[in-house]
Amino acid sequence: MLLFQEYHGIGLTSYLCAKLSWLSKDGLIPVPVVLREISNIMTKLLEWVFGVSVVGAAWAFVTFDILKMSIPRTYREVAWPMPLYLLVTFGCYSLATVGYRVATFNDCDDAAKELQAQIIEAREDLRKKGLKF
Amino acid sequence: MATVTDQAVGASLVGFSLLLFTYYSIWVIVLPFVDADHVLHQYFLPREYTVILPGVAALVVLLCIGAFVGAVMLKNRKPKKVD
Repeated sequence: MLLFQEYHGIGLTSYLCAKLSWLSKDGLIPVPVVLREISNIMTKLLEWVFGVSVVGAAWAFVTFDILKMSIPRTYREVAWPMPLYLLVTFGCYSLATVGYRVATFNDCDDAAKELQAQIIEAREDLRKKGLKF
Repeated sequence: MATVTDQAVGASLVGFSLLLFTYYSIWVIVLPFVDADHVLHQYFLPREYTVILPGVAALVVLLCIGAFVGAVMLKNRKPKKVD
């Protein structure tokens, strides 16, 4: 039996399931049970694939004029390179993040030197006790 | 604190990517709305290059990655044992 605010899955369907669980308190409506089953099928991958196909379909409808919506020419001119533009944007964001993390990396020079000294000390100690290196 | 070279490299990467993003955004999104006789158009290449240049860049990146992987694999080949 699913308790009110507990939900055991990840994602939208299991959240909805928890919120709607009050409906089946008396066994009246089996909605949460159905939703819970769906959330076991609806993995994160499926959610992503679904989202991407919706966006992709919208782009295709605008670019190839499938529904003959007669969108003004300038808007279609902006729409057709959109997937490539999003890819370039993602590439720029990745490059900027890598650059920023390289520039703000927290080297600890003192800790590094101390660690090297401790390694040498430990090695000497073990050599005295007979461990061969 | 990162070393001075690290900071310089990081800052140049950030600057380069910002520049690239701004140029590409204006090229793809702003230019179609600007009149054909405006002076802004002379700073941008013809529109076909919005597809060709990223395509060529992607191919070059893939080539470099493939060459790097190939070089590392060649270097790490173990010599055959002689029994």
